[in-house]
Amino acid sequence: MIVIKIGGSIVDGLHESTMQDIKALINNSEKIAIVHGGGKEVTRIAERLGKEQRFIVSPGGIRSRYTDKETVEIYTMVMSGKINKEIVLMLRSNGINAVGLSGIDADIIRAERKKRLVIIDERGRRVAIDGGYTGKISKINASLLFSLLEQGYTPVISPIALSDEYEMLNVDGDRAAAYIAGALNADAVIFITNVDGLIMNDKLVTSLTYDDAKMLLPKIGFGMEKKVLACTEALSMNVKEAIIASGDRKDPISSALRHENCTVISNGRR
Amino acid sequence: MNCPECDGEIRVPDDAIEGEIVTCPDCGASYELVKSNDRFDIKPAQAVGEDWGE
Repeated sequence: MIVIKIGGSIVDGLHESTMQDIKALINNSEKIAIVHGGGKEVTRIAERLGKEQRFIVSPGGIRSRYTDKETVEIYTMVMSGKINKEIVLMLRSNGINAVGLSGIDADIIRAERKKRLVIIDERGRRVAIDGGYTGKISKINASLLFSLLEQGYTPVISPIALSDEYEMLNVDGDRAAAYIAGALNADAVIFITNVDGLIMNDKLVTSLTYDDAKMLLPKIGFGMEKKVLACTEALSMNVKEAIIASGDRKDPISSALRHENCTVISNGRR
Repeated sequence: MNCPECDGEIRVPDDAIEGEIVTCPDCGASYELVKSNDRFDIKPAQAVGEDWGE
């Protein structure tokens, strides 16, 4: 069992061999579930709809979208509609029996809505604001995913979670992939992105232990830091290995599984 | 105003706004300012992670 996270930055730039690579793995009896991102496309469509996106800065200096009610509606529309269906279409046109789902379908992703967020305001002071519609993943219900996988389908899941009050929530795609990989007892979770993996001191880090990754986290730039964090979360949920790899190379999935030009984080020793 | 944890003195800036986080200089506890009858009161600030979705 493999969970693949396809980053929003690479959906349009996936190597032309990617779909056939996935198909070959499925034909070889591998079960595959896909989770996708797409934050930048949400911003682009929101702006075209005249909904200006508000970005906020955390005390740690991280700039994020502020997901208000209108934004979570656009987010759901773009993630679960446009991006999810584009990926399903790519898979189906290559003979893969893909099914598009969001995290709210069959309660796949449950999250706790964040009540308050602490931001740095324009005066440089810390202020607590309403948490909007973002959440922290609390539970994965994998029963539908297991049923679909057993029947030969490839689920494609968008990172939208259901709150305990039955609201739609924006959750991070990398962490959604990690939690889903954990719930599916996956052998590997692969984060497909637009770079080869974790770069430190201008060099690709090819392998890390769980402990190394945890220790490095504060030194890693935002974006990649969330991927490495998601890797450690997946490993702590007994996923055997977490891989960060580029989607812009021939057969990116099988190449990542062979540990070629990528970052592999595992519980074992290096 | 005084810190509910250690009774240290917490200074609220003149231009403070509702929701602003103030920290006790003695024990380091953080509080959120809430408006109550035209004056500020404090409540413990929630610790929140920095993962705010996609």
